[in-house]
Amino acid sequence: MPLKQMLKFIGFRFAGLLLLTLLLPLNLGAADIGNCLLCHKYPGLSRVDENGNFRLFYVNEDIFHQSVHLKVKCEGCHTDVQKIPHDPVKKVDCFIQCHIIEPSSEQKFSHKDVQSFLESSVHAKIDKNGSLKKFSEDMPTCLDCHDNPLYRPLSFFKTVRAGISETATGRCRVCHKKDEFIYRFYNHVTTRLHKIRNPRNVAEVCARCHDNPEIVQRHDLGTRAGYSYGETFHGKAAYYLSERVPDCLDCHVNQGQSVHQMLSAENPNSITHKNNKDLICSNLDCHPKATPGMANYRVHPEFNLDKSPAKYYFTVFFLVLAGGTLLPLMGIMGLDLIRRLFPHAALKRRKKR
Amino acid sequence: MKPQNMIKEKDGKRYFFRFTLNQRLQHITMASCVIVLILTGMPLKFKQAFWAPYLYNLFGGIHVAPIVHKVAGTTLLLLFAYHLGYVFVTIFKNHIIPLRQKGQLTVGNLIKTLINLPIMPNIKDLEDIRDLLKYLLFISDKPPEGAQFTWKEKFDYWAPFWGIVIIGSSGLIMWNKELITRFLPGEVINFALIAHSDEALLAMLFLFIWHFYNVHFSLSVFPMGTVFLTGYLSEEQMAEEHYQQYREVMTAAGLQDQMLPPHGTRPQKGDREAIPAPVEDSVPDFSGEAKVTDN
Repeated sequence: MPLKQMLKFIGFRFAGLLLLTLLLPLNLGAADIGNCLLCHKYPGLSRVDENGNFRLFYVNEDIFHQSVHLKVKCEGCHTDVQKIPHDPVKKVDCFIQCHIIEPSSEQKFSHKDVQSFLESSVHAKIDKNGSLKKFSEDMPTCLDCHDNPLYRPLSFFKTVRAGISETATGRCRVCHKKDEFIYRFYNHVTTRLHKIRNPRNVAEVCARCHDNPEIVQRHDLGTRAGYSYGETFHGKAAYYLSERVPDCLDCHVNQGQSVHQMLSAENPNSITHKNNKDLICSNLDCHPKATPGMANYRVHPEFNLDKSPAKYYFTVFFLVLAGGTLLPLMGIMGLDLIRRLFPHAALKRRKKR
Repeated sequence: MKPQNMIKEKDGKRYFFRFTLNQRLQHITMASCVIVLILTGMPLKFKQAFWAPYLYNLFGGIHVAPIVHKVAGTTLLLLFAYHLGYVFVTIFKNHIIPLRQKGQLTVGNLIKTLINLPIMPNIKDLEDIRDLLKYLLFISDKPPEGAQFTWKEKFDYWAPFWGIVIIGSSGLIMWNKELITRFLPGEVINFALIAHSDEALLAMLFLFIWHFYNVHFSLSVFPMGTVFLTGYLSEEQMAEEHYQQYREVMTAAGLQDQMLPPHGTRPQKGDREAIPAPVEDSVPDFSGEAKVTDN
């Protein structure tokens, strides 16, 4: 569909929905500002924005209620929405204080601490001196890595499996009476006991920037990290959805710290620093018997003459061996097939006996 | 085996001995392992191919397929060790003991014996390749007269021999990475992966294209060669592929007047009158009493 037609089509639908909203009793929208699903429950709610990008505004209520933000009301994040119909909303600021009470501190919850973590991490926009880093616009913000993640509860009864253990929730009910609380708490805790994303998913998120050749070149990263990770057994197993193999964060984040505190490999405090690397492999969950020698394994190998000439020529040797073996043999096969069509033809005939 | 015992007759057709039961079992075990290794290894190498996830899931996916791969690899390495022992015992029995009995067991004689083993590449192989190319390029009408093992068969033997050493050792390195990196730097795992993966691809293409063509898909054996099952080769195939040995065996058995003409020769007067028609069912059944020619 041409863009013009598409805009027209979407515009009509959007206008129709707005009209429908306006025709509804006025006090419903104005008083119940939280009733966002009144419009956003429609799967076709979408438009093309000023930059020509197609935007879908549909919210699937069922999916949202399985997400970690199920208790957060829309206006908790979209603070600039004051009336219905609303104006185009601003980008969400993840560091605002929301109305949820954090149970351990009994304070209003906020992701603000993440901001300070990020500022001291390799992904900070500013350097140690407080000045803006070169190409700071490439540095990720929350939404570059995060969406609204879904709970991934685990059951530990007899075996570890995905889902909720009703045996466990039965125990919860002894003291806690509200099922809504039990399931939310169960979901929260068991989701946090493992990764919310599988290794493939994590690698894909990092690869959005780290496989971008321009970003790799601008920041002299040396490798397309997602691609080169995919060339190792870890990456291949992750591709097949193994959750037992390490993803980017398992190796690049110091044990016991948040992913938002990731440090540069040049930082002596980083786990990826050459003096600390051996601690990565010998992690209890990975290769506890690993010696420092194992850490010399190149997790991000590249077929690159400048960076790894030995591996480059080693690979070339096998390519030449394969070509040098197979091509002549396939040539002989082809000639053999032709020859069998004309078994008696020859320029020189053998002497008759 | 005596030349006359190398020929068996069944339903009026001659079959020529090629491989013992032991050798055939070794080959079938190896072929089975290699096929399983390819099926469980290639989906990792070509993980983004459309067929890769289906094939990998057929072997249990990422949690089971690597175990299947390791079981098949271990079996193949054990078979390789057995084969080395088998070769050593065969050489010891057939060559070293006779040399010792004759009092001629010297290093020189031993090397000479090893070089002259029928499976070892030799000058005749180069001559045969030259003659084959001349024949294939229509320069001559005389294809090479193959000995007991043709250059193609020697290639089929020594290429997997090298392949098992390379793929097997690199596989063991990756499997036992904690142990290996106690003595060697971690980068050895990178080299092992390159060698394992690229050599396996070469081996697979070599076997599925070249070996399968020669033993199954070539027009003279299509749709399937059966020597790997029966151990015997039909007279027509024997004459086509191993004419030198065919002539030696037939002559030793006193059947030189019944020999088929060399492959590629137009049937002429004076050749054996009744050249057998192509065998419809080329799988001979040797389970019963086969008649051994006593000429």
